[in-house]
Amino acid sequence: MGDVLDSMLDLMRRLPPTKIEENVAALTALCPDYADDFLGSVDQPLILKVDRTTGKEYLACDYNRDGDSYRSPWSNEYDPPIDDGTLPSAKMRKLEVAANEAFDTYRELYFEGGVSSVFLWELEDGGFAGVVLLKKVLNPSTSSEPSGSWDSIHVFEAVERGRNAHYKLTSTIMLQLVTRSPGTGEVNLSGSMTRQSEMDAAVPDFSSHVPNTGRMIEDMEIKMRNLLQEVYFGKTRDVVYDLRSVESLEYARRQRELQKELVGFMKR
Amino acid sequence: MDHQTRIEAASKFLLQAPPGEINDVLNDVRMIINDDGSLQEGILPVLHEYNVTQFITTEVPGVEHQVIISNASKVSQEEGFDQDTSRFVDPQSSKSFAFDHLRLEASDLQPFEFFAETEPLRTALQTATTNYVKDHFHDAVSAVLPSPLVSSSSEEGPKKFIIQIVGNKYNPSNFWAGRWRSSYTLDTESGELTGKIDVTVHYYEQGNVQLASSHAPSISLPASLASSCTQPSNAIKILALIGDVEKKYQESLADAYHLMGDKTFKNLRRALPLTRQKIDWDKVTGYKLGAELNASRTGLNPSD
Repeated sequence: MGDVLDSMLDLMRRLPPTKIEENVAALTALCPDYADDFLGSVDQPLILKVDRTTGKEYLACDYNRDGDSYRSPWSNEYDPPIDDGTLPSAKMRKLEVAANEAFDTYRELYFEGGVSSVFLWELEDGGFAGVVLLKKVLNPSTSSEPSGSWDSIHVFEAVERGRNAHYKLTSTIMLQLVTRSPGTGEVNLSGSMTRQSEMDAAVPDFSSHVPNTGRMIEDMEIKMRNLLQEVYFGKTRDVVYDLRSVESLEYARRQRELQKELVGFMKR
Repeated sequence: MDHQTRIEAASKFLLQAPPGEINDVLNDVRMIINDDGSLQEGILPVLHEYNVTQFITTEVPGVEHQVIISNASKVSQEEGFDQDTSRFVDPQSSKSFAFDHLRLEASDLQPFEFFAETEPLRTALQTATTNYVKDHFHDAVSAVLPSPLVSSSSEEGPKKFIIQIVGNKYNPSNFWAGRWRSSYTLDTESGELTGKIDVTVHYYEQGNVQLASSHAPSISLPASLASSCTQPSNAIKILALIGDVEKKYQESLADAYHLMGDKTFKNLRRALPLTRQKIDWDKVTGYKLGAELNASRTGLNPSD
């Protein structure tokens, strides 16, 4: 049984990131029995929505979805409205409001634009979990400028142990960059990377979860931004130059031979 | 979902397989469809399509070099796919062979005689291409084919020649793979040269990052070369033009990398806030939020 789900997820790790949405739709249609588990494990680009009450933009994903409706972190309301939509407890909602404010600041300082949303929920065996979402889209003003998008999905679990808490974080960042020029045609660099981390921190009061998760996510994003830079602009580029060499390989071969001869000559 | 629709969905996945990963995708699809018998039958046309568009290379018994499978090397130039008549030509050994698109196996070798009159030009182009590929690709396969692919029995000779290059690098233990495909068509009647370069890279260690680049360069032959491009002695000049185009493309690609990595990436997310300090999370509440934001906009450090 699990093999089918594994195969669905393996496919998503191989197929082009530019076609995530259509491939996810095709796979859920092919295997409706696994759709819930699959949708819960696969990361998709975040959807931008506008809160009808506050007019503020928020992000929609599987974590704030109930049926066909999405909950806004700003008004706590579902759109389209539903009567029995899952809501966080009063205590949890208070923390959620504080977290949304804090990560809105984080978003402005690091992204200088974009949209953020935080959603929290209680766990059955105590503790709670949450997701911090960040998205920024760059639309080029001219056709020669690249377009791009960044989607962060940080899912965490927090379990309190006395005055401390243990946090587990799984972060996925989806990055897409597209440029078109007469010299290159279309160049599309896109994909996602996932990393995990764990941390213990003091929780003097319940609201301390906000700075704790804030620091953890900030550190993770800094680490992952470096990683993305290395993979996107370093590794994929190196593979291209590994396929075709700009310089003449014949010339390089002759240079090496010449050098060998020289070394041999000097040894004599 | 009916059977036909399931096979069609599976086919779409197969066509998207990254370089060197068609078998992994096929294994996933087998698990998902869970009906090997009809899957095998149903996906043969799509495997054929994948193989010819991706310039899949194959070993041919008795031939020492790798051979490119492509539409240009297909003996039967008819539209559609028929496994029984799926034969391809190896232009370098002048042999045709049957090809199994699922097992990627060549068999039943037979001699293939090219149209005699244009053979000197075709072999000159092949020699020039082989030398060019050796000089700029670490490990690539090339082919030069007449278009249409007519044999010696044809009444009319070919008017076009197709030059193909494919380089693959698979490194599954380090989770990456790449493919360079380029194809150029020389029209000997009009003296025109058209090209297409496709580069795909897949990096998949704890992630899935892909480069997909597609470029159709326009290459103008100098008038003197355009009018004399059927002369075998000019093959080297034609390949020099192709080499120039590929060099320029690679340099432009480096510029695109630079632009995206430097500017676009930074515009999406900064490495650190303007203050060059990580956030003071204990301060990120209430009115301090506004103060910190104003400070960051004016470039002032709130802790100064």
